Amino acid sequence: MGEDKVLVAVVVALCLVGILAVYSVDPMRGEGWGVRSFFGRQIIWNIAGWSLFLFFAFLDYRFLARGGWLFYLLMCLSLGGVLLFGTGDETGARRWLFSQSVQPAEFAKLFLVLFLGFYMNANKEEFDSYALLLKSGVLSLVPVALVFVEPDLGTSLVLLITWLGTLFVCGFGGRKLGVVFGGLAVLGSSGWLFLKEYQKKRIMAFLNPWKDPLGSGYNVLQSQIAIGAGGLTGQGWLSGKQSQLRFLPARHTDFIFASFCEQTGFLGGALILLLLGVLVWLSVRIARNALDLEGKIFASLIGVVFGFQFFVNTGMNMGIMPVTGIPLPFVSYGGSALLVNLAMVGLLYNIANSRRKEVGRRRFG
Amino acid sequence: MWDKETAERTYHRIGILGWILFAFLMGLFLRLWYLSVLQGDWYRERSERNWVRIIPLQALRGNVYDCNGKILAEDLPRFRLVLLEGSMKVEEARNKVEKVLGRGLGSEFREIAPGEIVLLEDLSLEEVIKVEEAQGDLPGVVVESYPLRFYPASEAFSHVVGYVGKVTSEEFKSLGPLGYEVWDRVGKGGVELFYENLLRGEKGYRRIEVDALGRVRRVLENHPARFENSIVLTLDRDFQEYCYGLLGNHRGTIIIGKPSTGEVLVLVSKPGFDPNDLVKGLSTEKWTKLTQNEAKPFTNRAVQATYSPGSIFKLLVAIAGLDEGIISAQTTFFCPGFLEYNDKHYYCWNRTGHGTVNVEKAIAHSCNVFFYNLALRLGPEKIASYAQKFGLGVKPDFDLPGVKEGFLPTPNWKRQARREIWYPGDTLNLSIGQGYLLVTPFEIYRLLCGIATRGKIYRPHLLKGVLDSKGRLIKDNRAVLEREIRIKESTWNLLINGMKRVVTQGTGYACRGIPVELAAKTGTAQNPHGKDHSWFGGFFPVENPEITFLVFVENGGDGSGEAAHIANDLIRWFLEKRGVERGRR
Ligand SMILES: [Zn+2]
Repeated sequence: MGEDKVLVAVVVALCLVGILAVYSVDPMRGEGWGVRSFFGRQIIWNIAGWSLFLFFAFLDYRFLARGGWLFYLLMCLSLGGVLLFGTGDETGARRWLFSQSVQPAEFAKLFLVLFLGFYMNANKEEFDSYALLLKSGVLSLVPVALVFVEPDLGTSLVLLITWLGTLFVCGFGGRKLGVVFGGLAVLGSSGWLFLKEYQKKRIMAFLNPWKDPLGSGYNVLQSQIAIGAGGLTGQGWLSGKQSQLRFLPARHTDFIFASFCEQTGFLGGALILLLLGVLVWLSVRIARNALDLEGKIFASLIGVVFGFQFFVNTGMNMGIMPVTGIPLPFVSYGGSALLVNLAMVGLLYNIANSRRKEVGRRRFG
Repeated sequence: MWDKETAERTYHRIGILGWILFAFLMGLFLRLWYLSVLQGDWYRERSERNWVRIIPLQALRGNVYDCNGKILAEDLPRFRLVLLEGSMKVEEARNKVEKVLGRGLGSEFREIAPGEIVLLEDLSLEEVIKVEEAQGDLPGVVVESYPLRFYPASEAFSHVVGYVGKVTSEEFKSLGPLGYEVWDRVGKGGVELFYENLLRGEKGYRRIEVDALGRVRRVLENHPARFENSIVLTLDRDFQEYCYGLLGNHRGTIIIGKPSTGEVLVLVSKPGFDPNDLVKGLSTEKWTKLTQNEAKPFTNRAVQATYSPGSIFKLLVAIAGLDEGIISAQTTFFCPGFLEYNDKHYYCWNRTGHGTVNVEKAIAHSCNVFFYNLALRLGPEKIASYAQKFGLGVKPDFDLPGVKEGFLPTPNWKRQARREIWYPGDTLNLSIGQGYLLVTPFEIYRLLCGIATRGKIYRPHLLKGVLDSKGRLIKDNRAVLEREIRIKESTWNLLINGMKRVVTQGTGYACRGIPVELAAKTGTAQNPHGKDHSWFGGFFPVENPEITFLVFVENGGDGSGEAAHIANDLIRWFLEKRGVERGRR
């Protein structure tokens, strides 16, 4: 079986797990399949997402890459729009456009990947130069900063990692990478002063959750308790006490991994880890085998974006990463994220497929 | 610069991404394995602490009944509002509850168990319904039922039945190892304390499932509190309440019982207190007022206070004299109103004199001079040894806590304790129940019982029987003959004849006209602090005594006064309401 087919199979499996997981913690479950229910909406987002997948899978990605600056402009405009016209959520953060229907920060992940793929490819003659490092850095830090002040620490980290991934993949020298990391470390520690109080608390709570088990450490503890209480085989479908009695916060979004583990145990959790692991591994494989540099950068950045979100989310569920509000790809409830993720899978499929076509043409043509 | 080298480096870097993925993935798998498999049990237990609440239910206590099945102490179900901590802030809960009930709550909330705060005690049924209807708005607020000890007969039984209270931190040191918790109830006096082991029931608990907001989802397990035993006392509630009323504003005590079984029908001490107040918890101010009251309402005067017996002690001197053969029925002494001894005058209470007096007349008229003469011939040791035979100065085997004994003075004691010799004057004082001699009213009651049964001493008791939780009698406390005092029959006859004449001809004139033959004796205890204390005790019917009674009134004047009048009333009440089998005239 070709890796494009494996890719689709793995992502379909992940989306199904996501729908089931959202269903299991849906507070509106009792009211049927209507649009008020979370899992009903998740199904609709899936349908929309898979349409987007088809669009990205069969459009020539090299053509797509030509619109690089357009994506960059679209990203900055929409992120700026959020800051100017956006609607807030219960934490007071402004993250939405069009009355809580679109989260531009999620789309920024896709746009930045597309832009950086295009931009680096266009400037490949300057690889491993401080000039390109600086230019790409400035261009990337604009959306990072825009998302950071929403504030959405998690997504801005994803965008930052995308840029770092680009430098890494494009073969920037070890010393240059060291300079970048050093600079970020200085920036990060001075940035501590600009963090919102709740973000500081989250990070402190990660370092020692038992210090304030009912306050800031609550999330971290309850999700670990949920996973631990699941045991090897879980407490059974729809019967996890932590999730059903709502001790676990953000059950259908950030902590969906924990509530799924509580119900299905180590086995269920391992399934999610395995599926996402295979997805990231496939991205890396597709990147290595891609025929052109654009394809390589696209695929590896998609791998980095998926991988980072995957590690940080499951890690925070299991108490080995700070709580940063990053959703689990394909599984957490959320329309924008699902659309973006499936679009990226479409791009991966596209890259994998075009290589096969190319190889086929060479062999038989 | 894009060249082959750069292209290869890119290829190489992508490969490194794969290894990074692999490393992270392994880390995640290990962490998941650690949490759910290695630490699974620990986290499951942690999770249970989240959603399982164990609500302890206070142990029930058995009921206390009187001999006719009337209730003396029982547990009534009451409701209180409890806030499970962590579900809502106390202030927020208070505001919400006040809105629901439409009335203010107190400002001080006490914690009955870890994490459980009582918002309101003693809710009415309507309020319980209001709270249950508003459950959705009141997460973590639960209505809890608890038993409240209730004493329907209130003050009249305050000493003998006692009361219950929370285990104090002091008591917890000794009661903790027995399974008591600081919020448990424990008997604090009377039979509630003495029969704590019988009355104390078993604690219960309820395991409930709560959600993250503290709302009760369902009851997982209900293990109701229980009690094992109820007890039936020999006391007669109506009679005791009547006697308590008879004492009026006096301080004093009344003891009534059956001499031939040892059952005690009435044991009152006045003033008492309302045990129901103590159960609900008194304010410090009220508590201090009670404990520092000079009338000492907490003292059970029947068994815990000592007084001079006065002339009622002459019965014992007479027994000793007759039994030792020092006097006989025919022996007479002349009473001119005083006895001259060593150039001192020792007066009879009747300064005009009783003339020639034999033992019967001496008892009937309570002639001091007769007993002065007798005691001088008898000596203090003999008097003390007879007193001891009848239980004076000896701690009785009786089912109440804190029972005290009186004091019998002897020349030996005086020499050792006071470093003084025993003067004949001491003997004279002793013979009429004054001086160093001290008795509890209960000792005098037992002396009267011993005379009524002609020497057969039955163990006094309050416990008539024990019931199981379904009300079946599982133990019948039968009469126990403690010992028998061997005294000549003629001594008993003379003594009892004298006591009969107390009523018909002598100092007990207040009880004349009672439709049963009565034997009694008056006593006046000189009181240096005020009016004399008044004693009156006896038994009826004379032929086959069923009832022994003793009335003691502090500052009641002489024995023929207050105490005798009260005795008259209570005997008539008894004959009318309860009756005697034989001996009615
Ligand atoms: Zn006289």
